Amino acid sequence: MYGWIWRHLPGNTWIRALISLLLVLVVVYVLFQYVFPWAEPLLPFNDVTVNN
Amino acid sequence: MSVRVVVRTFSELCITVGALIVLFVAYVLFWTGVKADSAMDHQIDSLQSQWSKGAVAVQQPQQPQPAPTATDTGDDKAAVDPPAPYKDGKPFAVMYIPRLGFTWNKPVLQGTGVDILKKGLGHYAGTAQLGQKGNFAVAGHRRTYGDPFKDFPELRPGDAVVLTDGTTWFTYRIDTKPYKTVPGDVAVIDPVPRKSGYKEPGRYLTLTTCEPEWGHSHRLIVWAHLDATQPAEAGKPEALRR
Repeated sequence: MYGWIWRHLPGNTWIRALISLLLVLVVVYVLFQYVFPWAEPLLPFNDVTVNN
Repeated sequence: MSVRVVVRTFSELCITVGALIVLFVAYVLFWTGVKADSAMDHQIDSLQSQWSKGAVAVQQPQQPQPAPTATDTGDDKAAVDPPAPYKDGKPFAVMYIPRLGFTWNKPVLQGTGVDILKKGLGHYAGTAQLGQKGNFAVAGHRRTYGDPFKDFPELRPGDAVVLTDGTTWFTYRIDTKPYKTVPGDVAVIDPVPRKSGYKEPGRYLTLTTCEPEWGHSHRLIVWAHLDATQPAEAGKPEALRR
């Protein structure tokens, strides 16, 4: 999987490393901004009220 | 497809899932706190700028006075002139609990929705307003989102819970040790909360959070009664002075 991505990135090793780093940052950003905020309410820490 | 490729792909998947879990834990433990702290600061700032503009509707001149007792007959000014209802999702007060830290202060917002509790403590809709007859009930996170009620079990009878709505300081005194109950026990936020030991109508405050610390199987509750009020101009109440 990661080997496949690496082989398909353009440029020499340094450029590929730079692009990889950027890709990782994009993934982390998407996770923190969209995926985790969606997933977090599924955990029990939000239940602090008494209700029916 | 060779065995090598299968094993390699499986390993990469495991590493990816592991990294995802670590990131998610970092998000829950750390990032929600960062977000909540800035959101709470923002709420308090907006309240204070609102108050400094004098946008608070009624300036009731009041002298420092002991709170009306539970046997009060209800002929006081507040009963005659009920305050405007709080706007849903908006902050209306700041809470201070010296036991949770001298600098501990959190905004109180109207409503107890998930998004509201990310920005501060939530006032149960349908419970009494600040300082009014009945039960002013507030919920807050125990963990995550800034951990506002992390030290909830440390609360003890006699501890002060101080609130201000910009015109008045309200000092409540806690009467009970944290009481553990089940999530469906809505009687704890009744006007005269069951199990609280209060027998007659009065001006009460209820705080609720989750129990155990990282779980949601139970709730922790403390009850307090209104001990004293004083106008904002009179400065901080005794409980907040060092």
